[in-house]
Amino acid sequence: MTSDGLAPGTEILRAEGLTKRYGKITAVIDLDLHLLTGEVFSFLGPNGSGKSTTVGMMLGLVRPTRGRVSAFGSDMALHPWPALRRIGAVIETPAFYPYLSGYDNLRALAMMLGDIPPSRIDRMLETVGLQDRARDAYKHYSLGMKQRLGIASTLLRDPDLVILDEPTNGLDPAGTREVRELIPRLAQEGRSVFLCSHLLHEVQAVSDRVAIIRQGRMVAEGHVDDLLGRGQFLRLKAADDQALLAALGRIPWVSRIEHLDGFVRAAVPPERAAELNRVLATQEVFLSELSPWAAELESVFLELTGEGAGL
Amino acid sequence: MIPLMQAEFFKLRKRMMTWVVALILVGLIVLLYSVLWSVSGRVTTFGSEHQFTGEQLRRALFLSGSVPFSLEIVGTFGVLLAVVLAAGAVGSEYSWGTVRLVATASSGRLRTMGAKLIVVFGLVAAGTVLAIATALIYSSVITFTSGGSDFDFVTGAFIRDQFEALGRTLFVLVPYIGLAFGAAVAGRSTLAGAGAGIGVAFMEPLVGGLMRLGDEPWKTIPNYFINANAQVILLQNALPDALPRFGPGEHELTSRAANSPGVAAIVLVAYAAVFLALAFYLYRRRDITAD
Repeated sequence: MTSDGLAPGTEILRAEGLTKRYGKITAVIDLDLHLLTGEVFSFLGPNGSGKSTTVGMMLGLVRPTRGRVSAFGSDMALHPWPALRRIGAVIETPAFYPYLSGYDNLRALAMMLGDIPPSRIDRMLETVGLQDRARDAYKHYSLGMKQRLGIASTLLRDPDLVILDEPTNGLDPAGTREVRELIPRLAQEGRSVFLCSHLLHEVQAVSDRVAIIRQGRMVAEGHVDDLLGRGQFLRLKAADDQALLAALGRIPWVSRIEHLDGFVRAAVPPERAAELNRVLATQEVFLSELSPWAAELESVFLELTGEGAGL
Repeated sequence: MIPLMQAEFFKLRKRMMTWVVALILVGLIVLLYSVLWSVSGRVTTFGSEHQFTGEQLRRALFLSGSVPFSLEIVGTFGVLLAVVLAAGAVGSEYSWGTVRLVATASSGRLRTMGAKLIVVFGLVAAGTVLAIATALIYSSVITFTSGGSDFDFVTGAFIRDQFEALGRTLFVLVPYIGLAFGAAVAGRSTLAGAGAGIGVAFMEPLVGGLMRLGDEPWKTIPNYFINANAQVILLQNALPDALPRFGPGEHELTSRAANSPGVAAIVLVAYAAVFLALAFYLYRRRDITAD
């Protein structure tokens, strides 16, 4: 449950026909998305694909050219402040006052928010492991410490929606693991998490749903399992792949047969895997491998965005 | 809006710039008093338009003249410090990228800008009081060491005059603060705000002087500049004759056919309103992005 008692699965944010133009450049085109309570939603796209502009519109920082975003019942372009009280966000790199300490930065933020007790500042600094450096000036923090302070600042207001843009950027492996463990924990507490990250295997591990954006347009959106084709495809290997492809083509309940990465991928109902093996054997095609197709989000991403490098 | 003002005050109180600005103002008061006190013991007569004796200068530095003289310093040099403070309070949010933090944490963009304006003006007022206090302390030393411990001048009318002078001085600072705010928001930087404010404060008298050399309508236009009208208002502060005015005197303003104090006040209010409206409008309407 969220702070006002929204049940899990309740829609908290909806973007409809979201479009943003900067002069002749269209950064985001006709984007639709929605967020539910308690889910981890990952938003992926190459550099310059419109992710930050979309996040800016979600927070009411950027005015859409067309379309609208509503969050917690507020129109984010017209009156975002009641909703912003329930959203914690770090956009791109964390930005704080360089001359203030980590503690004082959170104190200033708590003052702006209005009703945050000082004890919560200490608790948040402890949560992100910054309690020993809390009195040091922010300008002396490493990138990883700045990220930790950014995460602490998002959690300070006890938000129902947490927006994290590259939260593991600059963190060491231990810090990265802590953030990876933190994200599902936030969802278990009933918060929604909107995650932008370059680390696709981590996104895959923690996300319920994923959206992929390319040149401002949504190219895919759905549950991670659906996007990866989990439970739909089998990975097959035989001594003669051509004979295997031909035999599969003759079976009516096998579809979407492809030769990928040295294996044959085919859409087969999982409960018929043993039957498939028997049918192929009767056709003198003997399998050396038969397993569920485990696609990686990275390959799906690269396929959909046409990107060879860099997100 | 109170939480936003508390946060703004907290940020400015913790910032080195605020204390440096205050220190410069105090230093300026001390420096000018020291120079004038020293000069008063070395000259017998001085001044071109009117002749004053060294003794008259020393007596002008006594307690009775300390408030208007410190306000003359604030009204002239304090403008630059107020501009730096105002531009820094707004522009730094852009250069540090904290403008997004503030925009997502506050209860409204107009309230944020309003809180900044109130706190900056409050600090400028506090700085002015600090300048007066410094002048009073230094003046007390001069008064008591020069045998001038006569407090008959402290009457109800005198005290009222000092408060009116304080009000007039703070009033003339508002358009400059507004200009620094507007330019810092428009240029998304401290440099834009400070540059515009200091540039206007420095360039206006020069440009105005050149324009007055011409015929109508050029020679009248400078009468509607900020500085020209600020000087009309500051001239109402009763400064002892022997103390220097850093702006044009009554004679010079008369020769320029300067505006009356009422018109000057309206002109300054109009400038302040335009600059602040620009700052509030741009901050409210514009996208807040990384660059």
